[in-house]
Amino acid sequence: MFSMMNGNPFPHTSQTFNISPHRFQPRSKSQFLRRHPSKRLVLVLCSLALLFFFFPTLRTLAVPSLGTSLFRDDPLITTVHHYDLSKSAGTGRGWEREERVLMCIPLRDAAQHLPLMFSHLRNLTYPHSLIDMAFLVSDSKDETLLLLNTLLERLQSDEDPHQRFGHIDIFEKDFGQVVGQGFSDRHGFAAQGPRRKLMARARNWLLSASLKPEHSWVYWRDADVEVAPPTVIEDLMRHNKDVIVPNIWRPLPDWLGGEQPYDLNSWQESETAIQLAQTLGEDAVIVEGYPEYATWRPHLAYLRDPYGDPDVEMEIDGVGGVSILAKARVFRQGGHFPAFSFERHAETEGFGKMCKRMGFSVVGLPHYVIWHMYEPSVDDLRHMAEMEQERLRKEKEAQEAAGKEKTGGAGSAAAVSDSGESPLKESSREKDPLEMYENGEGFLDSVRAAELRAAKQVAEEMKKQQLAMEKAKAEEAAKKAGAARGSGSKDAKGAKAAKNPAR
Amino acid sequence: MAMYKSKKFRGRPFCIVTIVGASLLLLFYLISPSSSSSKAQKRPPPAIGGTKSISHYRLDGLQSTWRSFESHERVLILTPIARFYDEYWNNLINLNYPHELIELGFILPRGREANSALLRLEEAVKRLQTGTKKNRFAKVTILRQDFDSPFSQSEKDRHALSGQKERRAAMARARNSLFTTTINAGISWVLWLDADIVETPTTLVQDLAAHNKPIIVANCYQRYVDHGENKIRAYDFNSWQDSDTALQMAKDMGDDEVIFEGYAEMATYRALMSYQYVAGNDIHEEIQLDGVGATALLVKAEVHRDGAMFPSFPFYHLIESEGFAKMAKRLGYQSYGLPNYLIYHYNE
Repeated sequence: MFSMMNGNPFPHTSQTFNISPHRFQPRSKSQFLRRHPSKRLVLVLCSLALLFFFFPTLRTLAVPSLGTSLFRDDPLITTVHHYDLSKSAGTGRGWEREERVLMCIPLRDAAQHLPLMFSHLRNLTYPHSLIDMAFLVSDSKDETLLLLNTLLERLQSDEDPHQRFGHIDIFEKDFGQVVGQGFSDRHGFAAQGPRRKLMARARNWLLSASLKPEHSWVYWRDADVEVAPPTVIEDLMRHNKDVIVPNIWRPLPDWLGGEQPYDLNSWQESETAIQLAQTLGEDAVIVEGYPEYATWRPHLAYLRDPYGDPDVEMEIDGVGGVSILAKARVFRQGGHFPAFSFERHAETEGFGKMCKRMGFSVVGLPHYVIWHMYEPSVDDLRHMAEMEQERLRKEKEAQEAAGKEKTGGAGSAAAVSDSGESPLKESSREKDPLEMYENGEGFLDSVRAAELRAAKQVAEEMKKQQLAMEKAKAEEAAKKAGAARGSGSKDAKGAKAAKNPAR
Repeated sequence: MAMYKSKKFRGRPFCIVTIVGASLLLLFYLISPSSSSSKAQKRPPPAIGGTKSISHYRLDGLQSTWRSFESHERVLILTPIARFYDEYWNNLINLNYPHELIELGFILPRGREANSALLRLEEAVKRLQTGTKKNRFAKVTILRQDFDSPFSQSEKDRHALSGQKERRAAMARARNSLFTTTINAGISWVLWLDADIVETPTTLVQDLAAHNKPIIVANCYQRYVDHGENKIRAYDFNSWQDSDTALQMAKDMGDDEVIFEGYAEMATYRALMSYQYVAGNDIHEEIQLDGVGATALLVKAEVHRDGAMFPSFPFYHLIESEGFAKMAKRLGYQSYGLPNYLIYHYNE
């Protein structure tokens, strides 16, 4: 009460010691003040959180050191990229962990194989968006590049987005060919060394230009594969090995045994081969499957049991190149296809050797088979033509015999000949199976296709012969007629017709 | 008064909860990665649909010539980096080869020591790539190794003979990881420039490219102060011409043994390029080499593309850059050195 009247009961004087605030202040006031900033704080924090939620790029601005210490790209700087390679290590369940696969496909005069190859690509079950593809088109004289482009455009604009693949690189580079691409050219012994070195260079160019830090796996695949399981990438990946290859066989015509081991480049090292290597010069290349180098190595191809467990693994030292799945880190750490003689081997076999030297696991699956296409050799083709001619001859004989029978019992023979003709008519009404095969459709295999092709050729040749014979006959007839007429009157037409064969 | 109190008690827990909640939310958004990169790395696929993401390159047209500068040939400068020196960085950005034709690649080891280097590198790169357009490089790739480097990086440790094989093997693997993932279809030249090279002529790229050799290396020296006097001394002994002694040594060795240069325990009597420097002589004098160091090494991209890499295993009893020269030779590429063209190593 007196304070109101007199003001401060302890008035200030210049002498008194003064600590401000020197009087009692009610608590409630400060409480009130405290409440409001807290509300404001909540508001600010919430709005900041919202702001960062909608504009994630602002985060790095707010905490600059945080952005860099976590090793990731600054969205504002497009020219700088970060990659932690341990995130592209590659595991056995890549499809679940979204690991990217680089699929490398070297091509050379492969136009005829492309449609079939693309049907394989479409069927792959590994998520297509995780697969980047790299093609190398080298030394091609056919329409490989053109066809590849159209097929890729079609694939990448597929209605189903799950069909579309990740990024696709097409590289063109000519290396200068040592030998032709025909079966007999390619598989001659003398051609092997230089040929393998060139192919190794091509593979290395393809890989080095296309491998990116985000790739966890690299899958090498040849274009001329006939049958492969659509799950092949997962099947090989599940083994979680550094380098892994399936067994490669090829189908054959029945008269050659029906099937055959194809890829002899996957093998285990033998004592004999090691001793052989020591006797050879520095630049020599040992190649498998030729009597000149008897290595006595156990080959993956020969160890196949059609009823064996497809998951059985076998340690190998050399690998074949038809279908290799390797962890990208193998290539990152320097593994490549030697284009020189590395421990007396080159290309894929040298690759296997080098990977072993670098301490990587190299494994083959003897009972898991991929079928390579059958390409008939010159001898096979000749034999096929002979067989076709033989078949036609027999058919003719049968027809003649049937014709003789016809004169005897007309009714039954007519029925037989009808039933014999009807399947032919049906098939001609449908699409030509050979054409379908060349478009990557239908159910024809390469053996049957080769036989059909041979048959077609024989048929065409016979047709030509027949035509020529008919032509000759017609000309002869015309000549006779002309001569007969010419003797009477000088007909210009007849003279022309008579002159023609003379030319 | 009473009303305030009751409100205070009812409001307080709510406030605390919201504050804690909001700040947690904020922290979460700040720390959580901006793109969901929790699993494997997935940069592409870019632009599915529109562009169909098909690219086409003609590698035939690619060339690496002595007129690199005029024919706009792209250079990839690669540096394995464990320590960041400002001198290195300044020297790098002072190179006067057009920066828009230069791509940079760095690879860092795992571990805490490299983190500080990473932070400083990041900062420098960021400053440069957001700075003047003229100074910016075409592309910068920063990689983190996927394996552990075996040894610490102090100068004494680095040069002890016992650890050489493991150390050089890890270095080889780092170099391979770097070039295999960064060489793209447009690159004509690869310049290997070590992170402790602090002084080179600004025309380094053009000067080396002008020789038009598949592989060419400058002579690496080090500046030091002796009794107040500025002097220079030879530093990198990995560039050499082979000797009969060394070849004989290699012959007698086991498969997994490696010859290292510059150690008294292993006297090879090779002709080292370091000692062939003559002050005042022509800096463009060339010599043929059998082993090269990678401190400042210019390589035509085709050499790497053909498969020449840095062996992480004994290759003809050689490893890393020395093995690289040997492998390139097996592929038909000769290495050269410039004994009078000096570049300088950092002095610790």
